[in-house]
Amino acid sequence: MASALAACAALPAPPPPVPTSVVPSTAPAPAATEAGSQLSPDGFDAAQRMAVRIRNIGCGALSTGSGFAIDEHTLVTNRHVVADSAELELSTYDGRDVAAEAASSAALADLAVVRTVEPLPAAPVLADADPAIGDAVTVVGYPLGRRLTVTDGRIMGAVTDPLHANLGEVLVTDAPVEPGSSGSAALDSSGRVIGVVYAKNATGMSFVVPVSTLRALLADAAAFAPAPTCG
Amino acid sequence: MTGPSGPAPSPGPQQPPHEPVWWTPGPRAAAPGPAAGPSAGRPEPGRTWPTAPAGDATSGPTTPSAAGGWPAPPPRRRAVVALALALVGVLVAAGLVGARLWTTTREWERAAAEWETLARTHGEQLAQATAELEATTGELAATRDQLSTAQTRITELADEKAQLGDTTAAQQQLADYQARVSEAAGTVATALANCIEGQESLIGYLEDVSRYDPAELARFRADVERVCGNASDANAALQRELAR
Repeated sequence: MASALAACAALPAPPPPVPTSVVPSTAPAPAATEAGSQLSPDGFDAAQRMAVRIRNIGCGALSTGSGFAIDEHTLVTNRHVVADSAELELSTYDGRDVAAEAASSAALADLAVVRTVEPLPAAPVLADADPAIGDAVTVVGYPLGRRLTVTDGRIMGAVTDPLHANLGEVLVTDAPVEPGSSGSAALDSSGRVIGVVYAKNATGMSFVVPVSTLRALLADAAAFAPAPTCG
Repeated sequence: MTGPSGPAPSPGPQQPPHEPVWWTPGPRAAAPGPAAGPSAGRPEPGRTWPTAPAGDATSGPTTPSAAGGWPAPPPRRRAVVALALALVGVLVAAGLVGARLWTTTREWERAAAEWETLARTHGEQLAQATAELEATTGELAATRDQLSTAQTRITELADEKAQLGDTTAAQQQLADYQARVSEAAGTVATALANCIEGQESLIGYLEDVSRYDPAELARFRADVERVCGNASDANAALQRELAR
């Protein structure tokens, strides 16, 4: 009997009860995708949503430029984009008109800020420091006053402003820009603002006011004065 | 203890081992044979032992009937019995183990069948989910295409609206310009007409200068020159406006 019991003990145990389902009670989290992290209400990415087209209706003259929001009611552009205007007309990436309230321009750099009546769709984050040579740069603007474009390039260097419109050095990039791109935001690979496009030269190089200059002027309340008008 | 009782076996020829022996009732003897020890030859209480006839104590070998007791079973038979008992035990144990194996196997078979059913159920669900995923992925791709198309169209419409705004602003500027030019031209025309009219009057006065006061005539001349100067200024402004 003892040997029989020992033999029975050595036999495999009966199987455990079969569950009714082996599906996990908690669904596993799906793997994050690159596209999923950039969802927006309408499919446009943040770089496009922050862009603003500026129409400068002067006294017998008409010009266009670009700009970008830095908060819900403020956008940044170039001083020469808003200069000598009788009226400024703003429109967003999706064609909505935004009324401009007041424009102020800086004396020490080709920069200006425009306050808006209606809220702007989105605002980017300013980078903490200027980019390094070789860093990728993306320019979002309205070249030639036409449709919104996104162009890529790299930081080629830093030089003294050839137009003498800015104190300190400005950045040189090979990102393609055209007249009308003035005031476009230059973004790094993380979508942060690293500068403001303000000019280009005959060889196709574009010039950018670095974000350090922009930050310094935005921090100084006295740096901006009402932009000159022609009215 | 055990063993036939009676007179001690007499010396003489021993009983052959293969001779049939009588079964000894009572506790099994450890060692059959001549009684040994103090109790040898003493009958146990309550049991009747055959006794040998008197005077036979010295007789020769005895037969079983002559011995008259329960002889011890031979070792072979007991071995057979023990073997049979062991075999029975082994068979019983094997039966128990077999029953256990059969039961366990049946349970595993049942469990395997249930697992297979569960696996097939989940397999069907997986196949269904995979098909739905493929369909949804296709719809997602189509939706992405539609979204891209819609975004492109939105951008185009925004551009078209901006161009129309530019055109409207430019036309408004042109209209304003034309209005300014027209107003300037009208002013020039009026000023020139006044100038001409004054000069014609002045010419008439000068043809008969003796009839007029020289001082009045000189003041009228100055007025005509001022009006004509205004006309010249208006014309210059018009020319400047046209040159813009």
